[in-house]
Amino acid sequence: MDIAAITGNINTIGYGISVIGAGIGVGIVFGLGMQAIARQPEARGPLQTNIYLGFALIEALAILGFVLAFAAPGA
Amino acid sequence: MSADVRILAAEPGCHLFGDNGCGFTAPTIGMFFPEPWFANIPGSAGIDLYLVLLLVAVGAVLLLWSWFSRKLSLVPGRRQSVGELLILFIRDNITRPTMGEKGDKFIPFMTGIFSLILAMNFTGLIPGMLPVNSNLAFTVMFALTIYVMTIVIGIKHQGGWGYFRNQIFPPGMPKWIYVLVTPIEILSVFLIRPVTHALRLFATMFAGSLLLAVFAYGGWYMLNLTAEPMLAAVSVFYSGAALLGYIAFFVFEIAIMLIQAFVFTLLASLYLNQSLEAAH
Repeated sequence: MDIAAITGNINTIGYGISVIGAGIGVGIVFGLGMQAIARQPEARGPLQTNIYLGFALIEALAILGFVLAFAAPGA
Repeated sequence: MSADVRILAAEPGCHLFGDNGCGFTAPTIGMFFPEPWFANIPGSAGIDLYLVLLLVAVGAVLLLWSWFSRKLSLVPGRRQSVGELLILFIRDNITRPTMGEKGDKFIPFMTGIFSLILAMNFTGLIPGMLPVNSNLAFTVMFALTIYVMTIVIGIKHQGGWGYFRNQIFPPGMPKWIYVLVTPIEILSVFLIRPVTHALRLFATMFAGSLLLAVFAYGGWYMLNLTAEPMLAAVSVFYSGAALLGYIAFFVFEIAIMLIQAFVFTLLASLYLNQSLEAAH
């Protein structure tokens, strides 16, 4: 099979790549957040807020990738 | 799930194992640009599906909260308790952890934002309809409102220059590090923050309803009862798998809609907190 013959929009691959980092990051944020809450359940309120803040900041990268997949002109 | 599906349902020819040999065409982003019914209105894009869904969502929220707050009493009845439960949820999970006691005056605003965004997401659960927030225009208006509010409230509480100084030069850092921090903070606070605030809600709703449309569209395409009996049985099996996927992602989508409405409100309240007081 000739790999150059595959047609489609290469932006989709770019989105896939951009999500790898964001996926790892969101996993780390929630994983360590759960661990922190388990160690100090009384600090749940501020920890939860910071978890969501970090999650939102990281997710922004994946969202930029998603938007660029549609916005940038495809190959 | 979309206009595309309805068009496909109207033309019966195109199915798996069909003899006219037409292939599967996935739903495109064209489904998010419905044809306006009244296009020639000056200064507007016309009246289309989104406007009707928006009115439905706003009406639902207004009805719900006026029903909750009718005939209020000190000892709440069952109906009033549910309303108070929702407000307490906003207070204990959104405004208190981010803004503390001084954020209590924002509880009605945050409750309104949360329930309106939730209703605007939930219109996507009606079969054949779209979530209102899958159109960037609506989420941008929400984010812009919050952005203007943060700047106005920040200037009111910290003074004109004081607010921008606290945002651009976060206090309590060695002098030389401002060379690094200030450009990042300017970019992050005044550009990336409002943009991602709007895009996050839009992109998740957009991707979610596109995913549901692919399952609905694919399931219909793979169902072919007019083929030979063996192939028809296979097509029913395929189509059933697509239906299961649709149901699974439908439930997943409800969770996503709840989480995104929550995250939007939480971030709005975090941003407002930075206007109320300088970062420590």
